[in-house]
Amino acid sequence: MDFTLPESAQAVRRGVADVCARYDMDYWQRCETEKRWPEEVWADLAKGGWLGLAVPEEYGGAGQGLLELAVATETLSASGSAGGSAFMYVLTPGFGALTLARHGSAEQKEALLPKLATGEMETCFALTEPDAGSNSLAISTFARRDGSDFVVNGQKVWITGVQRAARMLLVTRTIPAERARPRTDGLTVFLVDVPEAVRAGGLTYRPIPKMGANTTPSNMVFVDDLRLPASSVLGEVDRGVAVLWDVLNPERILLAASALGAAEVALRVGVDYAKQREVFGRPIGANQAVAFPLARVKAEIELARLMLYKAAWSFDNGLPCGTEANIAKLAASRAAWEAADAAFQTHGGMAYSLEYPVARLLADARIGRIAPVTEELLLNHLATQVLGLPRSF
Amino acid sequence: MNIVVCVKQVPDTATERKLRSEDKTLDRDAADGVVNELDEYAVEEALRLKEAHGGEVTVLSMGPAKATETIRKALAMGADKAVHLHDDALHGSDALGTSYAVSQALKKIGFDLVILGSESTDARTGMLAAMLAERLGAPQLTLASKVEIEGTAIRVERITDYGYDKVEASLPAVVSVVEKINEPRYPSFKGIMAAKKKPVETLGIADADIAADQVGLANSWSEVVDFAAAPPRAAGTVIKDEGDGGARAAEFLASKKFI
Repeated sequence: MDFTLPESAQAVRRGVADVCARYDMDYWQRCETEKRWPEEVWADLAKGGWLGLAVPEEYGGAGQGLLELAVATETLSASGSAGGSAFMYVLTPGFGALTLARHGSAEQKEALLPKLATGEMETCFALTEPDAGSNSLAISTFARRDGSDFVVNGQKVWITGVQRAARMLLVTRTIPAERARPRTDGLTVFLVDVPEAVRAGGLTYRPIPKMGANTTPSNMVFVDDLRLPASSVLGEVDRGVAVLWDVLNPERILLAASALGAAEVALRVGVDYAKQREVFGRPIGANQAVAFPLARVKAEIELARLMLYKAAWSFDNGLPCGTEANIAKLAASRAAWEAADAAFQTHGGMAYSLEYPVARLLADARIGRIAPVTEELLLNHLATQVLGLPRSF
Repeated sequence: MNIVVCVKQVPDTATERKLRSEDKTLDRDAADGVVNELDEYAVEEALRLKEAHGGEVTVLSMGPAKATETIRKALAMGADKAVHLHDDALHGSDALGTSYAVSQALKKIGFDLVILGSESTDARTGMLAAMLAERLGAPQLTLASKVEIEGTAIRVERITDYGYDKVEASLPAVVSVVEKINEPRYPSFKGIMAAKKKPVETLGIADADIAADQVGLANSWSEVVDFAAAPPRAAGTVIKDEGDGGARAAEFLASKKFI
């Protein structure tokens, strides 16, 4: 067995770290406070080809896989962006490019992939609804056939990045949930031209004020009589679940990567402070009550990383990766939370000051235990699907 | 046009840098090695000149085994090939020894233009370009903030305390650059992957006709006699403004020869 990262992934780590070296913690703090997209980093990542890593070479990308995307996400996150990095790699390189490369028609790939590879075009993904969060198969946004078109009505929530997206992957039902047998049947994913849909009045959105991760707004989305041509279906009508798995597993893996990087940066901040801050005539890190939580986080980070890379490698090799992705997500977001909490406790009262980065790290880490799927649902998957325990729902 | 860029691996300025107590030379293992920042500008300028005029860019670096990381970075930015001047006998060479060794390697490689950063962030003598020019018998165009080439003529804007001088020479020449000259590119994914396959030739002192008695710590003309840690920053001077704050601040700055 060989645990060395492939050269491609090592190149990604070096290259992305090089880009990120020009942006410090204050830069990321400013983006968060000003609630603005990190345009400068985005442009630099685009220039070096770091956004198109998983786009096939014939469409202008680097022809790499999810492992390289995960390493890029982790590196960006660990450089100081923490939670914000998730959106930079999940929304467009993940939701958009990775999914289109696997499920797009020739025309869709031709039209969109080259622009997704350069970051010139961005995407977002709309699945969650007010009454269908954890239970995503229960969505009720419905696409009704009308001649050769579809007309869509419904409501979505927590849809991140709509403001910048040229295309939205909109998940709908073409068979209502109560009539679908099995329940995974009757889902259809559309590629919606966002500015066009907004102009036509079929799509409106409203940002939700939120606790952290403010570099990108998350929105309520309202779909009213949105008319879409059949050519905008991604994958097959009624068989959208195949597309969905290939969105949700990479999403978990990339969010796990972001969480892992967030854990690393929180640990670094905590350890630095524990070395510098002196109380009772010695650095506080000399006290085991301070040192051990940090040491434990280090162990959690290394464990999560192993599972993260295994999950990404499985996806790239066409192997089942649902369980691995879930475990990676569970472990990494837990590590991020524990790391942020340990860094917070290490900083004592100063942690509460927004002049230190710890409060931001803590707020960002908290959402990782809930989005895109709660810890409880991840454990449910392990309990019922892996251990064969009886279902409660 | 055959352009050679000299790059040096230096300890990361963001980390704590140390000298080794046994021979008072830089402890290169104590800190992460990075490309000397000004040399990145030199690489960028070489690549721009190549893009405008054609030719080839060769990276030349003198340093220990781990300097290959620095060489790979320059190759990842787009240089075509590299020469690594690497020999234990070179350890501890001062500016004179280094300029001799590098000039011998340059003679071996051949060049129309040599470009390098105007100083390194570790030793900071800032003398290498001038010494190289002298040893190679080539014109020296130092502190360049702009470089133009037309045929065999090379024109440079050389920064000075009062602005800049326009100086002109003919190739072959040695140019050192300042950070005003350009914005170095990041290595791209394709650049990093391609760099692995680019040729890197390693030269020892015998390969480059370098006389052993002119290089190394024992043959250096300058000697580090002693060193000490920088004193911790002393408490600052607080000037309380009682109507004459501006004048007293100016007096203070004048007493320290800042103004």
